[in-house]
Amino acid sequence: MKRTLPIVVVIVAVTVVLMFLGLTSVGRSGGTVGINSGGALPGFSSDTSTPEKALNNFLLDIQKRNWGQAFASTERTSDAINEQSFIQDWVGSSGGLRSFSALERFDTRPLHATDSEAQMRVRLHWTTPVGPVEDVRDFRMTHRNDGWKVIWNETPRPNVPAQIVPVNYLRWDLVTGNGGDEWGSHNVDAPHVRIVSMNAVDSAEGVVIMGEVVNEDTVPAFVNVNAILLDANGGTIDDESSFDKILHVLLPKQVSPYRVDFPHIGLNKVKNVRMDVKATLVPASSDPVIGVMNQKLETDAQGHPVLHGELMNESGETVNIPHVIASFYDNSGKVVWVSDGYVEKALLPQSTETFAVEIPQSLAGKVQNFHVVVNQYSLEKS
Amino acid sequence: MRTHIHIRTGCTAVLLALIFGALCFSVFAADSSPHVTLNVSKASPRQVEALTQNAILRDYKFAWASMGVALQTNSLSSVNGLFVGEAGAHLSAEVKNQQQNDVSSRYRNQSHKLEAVFYSPEGDIVELHDTAEYDFEILASSKSIHSEHAVVHYIVLMTPGADRWVVRHLQAVPQF
Amino acid sequence: MLILLGSIAMAQDAALHIPSGLVAGNAARIGTNGGGSATFYLVGPGVSIKRDVELGKEISVAAKDLQAAGRYVAVICSGNCTSQVFFVAPGKPVDLSFIVHPSRAPVAENDAISGVALTFDEFRNLVLVPSTLQFQWSAKGSSPMSRSSQTREGIAWFRTNSGKTAGPLQISAAIGNDVTTRRVVQQVASIPCNLRIKGQRTAKGILVETEPIRDCSGNPVPDGTVVTFTARGGDHTSSVDAPVKQDIARATILASGPVTISAASGVAMGNELRLGGME
Repeated sequence: MKRTLPIVVVIVAVTVVLMFLGLTSVGRSGGTVGINSGGALPGFSSDTSTPEKALNNFLLDIQKRNWGQAFASTERTSDAINEQSFIQDWVGSSGGLRSFSALERFDTRPLHATDSEAQMRVRLHWTTPVGPVEDVRDFRMTHRNDGWKVIWNETPRPNVPAQIVPVNYLRWDLVTGNGGDEWGSHNVDAPHVRIVSMNAVDSAEGVVIMGEVVNEDTVPAFVNVNAILLDANGGTIDDESSFDKILHVLLPKQVSPYRVDFPHIGLNKVKNVRMDVKATLVPASSDPVIGVMNQKLETDAQGHPVLHGELMNESGETVNIPHVIASFYDNSGKVVWVSDGYVEKALLPQSTETFAVEIPQSLAGKVQNFHVVVNQYSLEKS
Repeated sequence: MRTHIHIRTGCTAVLLALIFGALCFSVFAADSSPHVTLNVSKASPRQVEALTQNAILRDYKFAWASMGVALQTNSLSSVNGLFVGEAGAHLSAEVKNQQQNDVSSRYRNQSHKLEAVFYSPEGDIVELHDTAEYDFEILASSKSIHSEHAVVHYIVLMTPGADRWVVRHLQAVPQF
Repeated sequence: MLILLGSIAMAQDAALHIPSGLVAGNAARIGTNGGGSATFYLVGPGVSIKRDVELGKEISVAAKDLQAAGRYVAVICSGNCTSQVFFVAPGKPVDLSFIVHPSRAPVAENDAISGVALTFDEFRNLVLVPSTLQFQWSAKGSSPMSRSSQTREGIAWFRTNSGKTAGPLQISAAIGNDVTTRRVVQQVASIPCNLRIKGQRTAKGILVETEPIRDCSGNPVPDGTVVTFTARGGDHTSSVDAPVKQDIARATILASGPVTISAASGVAMGNELRLGGME
């Protein structure tokens, strides 16, 4: 008994130290068989003898922002590609979401390899102001005399020609008034907003309440949808908000999907759902107008069903962080799912950017129609 | 053995303290919490919804409880935006003046029978008749100078605030 | 003017003589019995007074201390304390609180606009004596309408339909000729009616626009109203949420091949437009 305790203490202490080292090691992700985690043990070598090692080194340089070293380890396919455009591709520009993001870790997996070329799939884990974002990219590698190199073929975005774009869409300003507190004299009603549909479903993560809301008023509204789950006795199980899964600023007659998530709650416990939509007056602008082009349901490289499309900025103002929210309908017009995703690159005036939002595999077959709206955040307006 | 006896004694003492505390709490709570009922059968032109009835009951009860504490302690910290407009102004002035004169008032054993007599078409104003019964005492320098069991009729106007119904007007009348 | 009811004596020997018919905002003189000095207290709505007085003389209570209508307790302490309860009544109605809803009303809707008026005296006491209120409302280009209503418990209300023409509706509530309060309700276009679109292919894409959008009463919908254009062709869909500018909404849609274009604004749907593919 007297000897056991010190031994146990030593074992526990060693385990804690190892765990600490593991958690703090840069670039390391949870191990999965067949997938290399982005390891960052101090003193790593610049070995490029295999595609995995070469790609690992390349991504570590990206993570540490060693741009010169990273760029030097690539093979460019075009003279138009220079270090500046290479850096911009990784760090973003024009206040896009990538500009505020950091590469936290990455997982690589070989797709196929020969003696002279290889294809690797990388899952990049970004830390962003809107939460963790995952990006999957395929890298082609080629073997040269001095080792394997990453083929870099990302051509820079074409420059938008200088031009004058008139901005004459309507703006709304909010004037609070400076009169006294005379009861009834400051009567400006909150915007009239109505929930037009609601659907409650069970998902792998919990209960999801979704639907659509419309601004029936003639002024813009800042909208939030709340849902309260009630049990058979009328007691409250949980109370959640739509957070960013809604187009918060609704212009007159604009329709937005909404989604309220209740993690770890089963629908079988829910007897009733009470919905509440809060709308307040807010200054707003009709500009920018963003078109959503070439929307198509596809399967991505990983076999997941996605809605893919392009955002087109029809105005003269840069949209720094576009946020896509898509509602999916079945053949009876019922909303069966709402997905959202942030576009990492800024949407420049008169330009396009691609987007993709995932649909759960179980629902993909039911989707007959969809509607996409675009939330947008512009630094100039903050 | 000694340890065993000490533990039993300690547990018994804690249990007795808890029971005593619960009794005190229930007595105190019963004394300070007004009893409020609401009849909406005469409300017009709009019917008072069930959720609104519950909210008005809850908030009116809370308002009177807070007002009682405010006038007893001569502090407005308990009031928390429950009184606005003329009702709010009167309460603030009364607390301030009482404080200056070392006077306080107590409202005990409150019972309020509310009757809704008007509910606006948009649901933003409700007028109530309150037949209030309470033990009212005025103290000057902690000495009782007036004590009565009062039945008072109030005309009450309540309006919805950000997250509760608030008392906008509270006017005592000789009769309805 | 409301006549005050009698006061209630709380002690066997009533040492205070409260005058009857007290009205808010008027000074009062309270009589006392006996002799010597005493302390006078007055507690009421918004009021707490403490003063040294001489028994046998009248106690003057200033008008500002009796501004609030309601229940007061007057206490006189000289050794023992005796008290009297009395009421102060509201004055004449000289002020109105007028609450009108909504601030923006769609045109041509039944019972869309309502208003509630409350009568107060000079010191914001609710006047409970019935008064006759005149509600009047008028829009530009139409003759004014009015309705008379008697207050009950200090409140009068009205409800009316919204007009057919968009624009400001002036509403007033008045007691006699001296007391009037005004409010404005914006009558706005209702949901779009007969939403029609036209379009053509251009070098930049498909330019689609609506005809001037009006509601069913002929009022143009306000600028900024969003129209959603959707183009479906093959397995692709494109959409744009475009705001109305000077009665018309326009958008450019990128789509090759034959497409069917539709438009919607809120819950109102428009016609469909079919365009062939690019040559």
